[in-house]
Amino acid sequence: MNAILALALLLLVMMLLIGGKQGLANFFALTVNALLMILVVILMASGFNPIILAVVFGLIILASTIFLSTSHVAVAGPAFVSALLIMTLLVGLIILTMTLSQTAGFGPEDSESLEGFSVYIGVSFPHILIATTLLGTLGAIAEAAIAVAAGMDEIKDQASDAGIKQMGHEIIGTALNTLFFGFFGGFSSLFIWFASLRYPFSQIINNKIFVGELLQVLISVIAVVLTVPMTTWVVTTRHAHRRKE
Amino acid sequence: MKYFGKWLIPFVAAIAVFIGMQFDSSLYAKPVGRVESVQVIKTTSHDDEDQNHDRLTKQQVKVRLLNTAKRGQSVTIHNTYSFSGGLDNQLRPGEQIFLDVDKGVYTLNNIKRDAILAALLVLTFGLIFLVMGRRAWLTSISILLNTVIFFIAVTWEIGSKQWQAWWLFVGLAVVFTILTAVFIVGFKPIAVTISLGSLLATGLAVALGYGVLTLTNYNGVHLEEVKYATQMPQLLFFAQIVIGSLGAVLDEASDISVAIFQLHDSAKERFQAGMAIGRNVMGPLISVLFMIFIADTFVESVLWIRNNNSIAQTVIWVMGLGFAQSLISAFGIVLAVPMTSGLAAFMAKIKKVAA
Repeated sequence: MNAILALALLLLVMMLLIGGKQGLANFFALTVNALLMILVVILMASGFNPIILAVVFGLIILASTIFLSTSHVAVAGPAFVSALLIMTLLVGLIILTMTLSQTAGFGPEDSESLEGFSVYIGVSFPHILIATTLLGTLGAIAEAAIAVAAGMDEIKDQASDAGIKQMGHEIIGTALNTLFFGFFGGFSSLFIWFASLRYPFSQIINNKIFVGELLQVLISVIAVVLTVPMTTWVVTTRHAHRRKE
Repeated sequence: MKYFGKWLIPFVAAIAVFIGMQFDSSLYAKPVGRVESVQVIKTTSHDDEDQNHDRLTKQQVKVRLLNTAKRGQSVTIHNTYSFSGGLDNQLRPGEQIFLDVDKGVYTLNNIKRDAILAALLVLTFGLIFLVMGRRAWLTSISILLNTVIFFIAVTWEIGSKQWQAWWLFVGLAVVFTILTAVFIVGFKPIAVTISLGSLLATGLAVALGYGVLTLTNYNGVHLEEVKYATQMPQLLFFAQIVIGSLGAVLDEASDISVAIFQLHDSAKERFQAGMAIGRNVMGPLISVLFMIFIADTFVESVLWIRNNNSIAQTVIWVMGLGFAQSLISAFGIVLAVPMTSGLAAFMAKIKKVAA
């Protein structure tokens, strides 16, 4: 039996046992996202512009993650709106950063895995990098937006400015851990590579792969940090409008 | 206006750092130069065996040296870049580069990337401090400490045997967990619940993952594709999962514990409250890691497909590792829900007996 299928089945069983109906919806969202990501790769390889693909599919992935994670419209609605606003802001920052850093494609450390491949593939690697960075942050944006919207929905009328702020700090604090460790896991083999070849510090901070990966972490962190006040703002504005009517 | 103005501070600081770092070339021993002007010499089209059309451009680049004894002099180098830009870069005026020199002839070595890296670090931490205020210190110190420990551990691991490396990563995971838990809640009994719950969930997840992979004989998971793993790809595969998912599991465990420790009710009620919170947070948390792991495989996947590999082959060989890693990480995130809730409930019981 295929190992990935077996792992997925086991996850489905666990999510059903522990999460019930909600677990099933979560699993469904993951499956949808997995298929969407494969579709994005196929379309990129067939020559569609990666940046446009990332924006279009980013919208769909955000929608499926947010609306399948919570059945509460009062939570999902504002979370989705603020996630979209953040995504729009982010596209500019990502394009600027990735153009200045020139970290697209492969580094000298990749040469072994590139053996036998032609890298002149006629698809722009800088564009793929921008797309990858944007899509990689979406999970974190969705998570933070849902957490803030759900938290504000729970405390509703007793919400004080200080209370909302406190909650926002906690959400950012924990999201930072998730992102930091998440990317650190991926870093570990590269770090061992650097350490075993005794790369000097000056070389590491200019290394194509290291700088590229670290910039992606930092952009995700920026995205989460901005998502929290943005969602707070969206929820408060929505409430104010409701009250006027 | 004042409210809006404060958001500009981190951006202005980042730009200032970016500009300042254009003048740090004297810190490098390697020759650094600034691109003064570029001129396209010729453009040729390039077709590979799989009918991929690309364009190669040769540019003549005038570079002004910024350090070494030749500082201030101008040299001319040649640089060829492709439209796809997988292994090469188009040089643009104003950009700074490292140069190799051999018998007075200069060639491009690498792009200088320290300025953009520093600028983004300043922007990130500037925004964290702006939004979180004083709490940002705790988070930043916790991240910094973990980074330092990670570096020491990785440097130490060099040359050790495989079983030693295993224990090193296990030790690293334990230290990370306890340190982060203490930074989140302080030296309190609740920190024990958080770290124990996280470690048990992650340990069980890896054990289950290892079991499933062994039973299916790693069918469809190609460990030889683990990146930058010259030795011990299996170890790195699991180490990446453990460290990668630990943050998410810790977050979840602390969310659950903090919320239910405030309830002074019976163990049963605590357990049920914990499960309810966990159910809501586990889905989004899994998708955070999922997107990180899968997006990481995009560049290589596109390369594979354009090199005439079938989609099925690409999905299995390149994306397969990312899928396997995010699935095993998801085990940990799901298992942490009952484990942390159970531990918190158990602690409530002990307290009652003691009282």
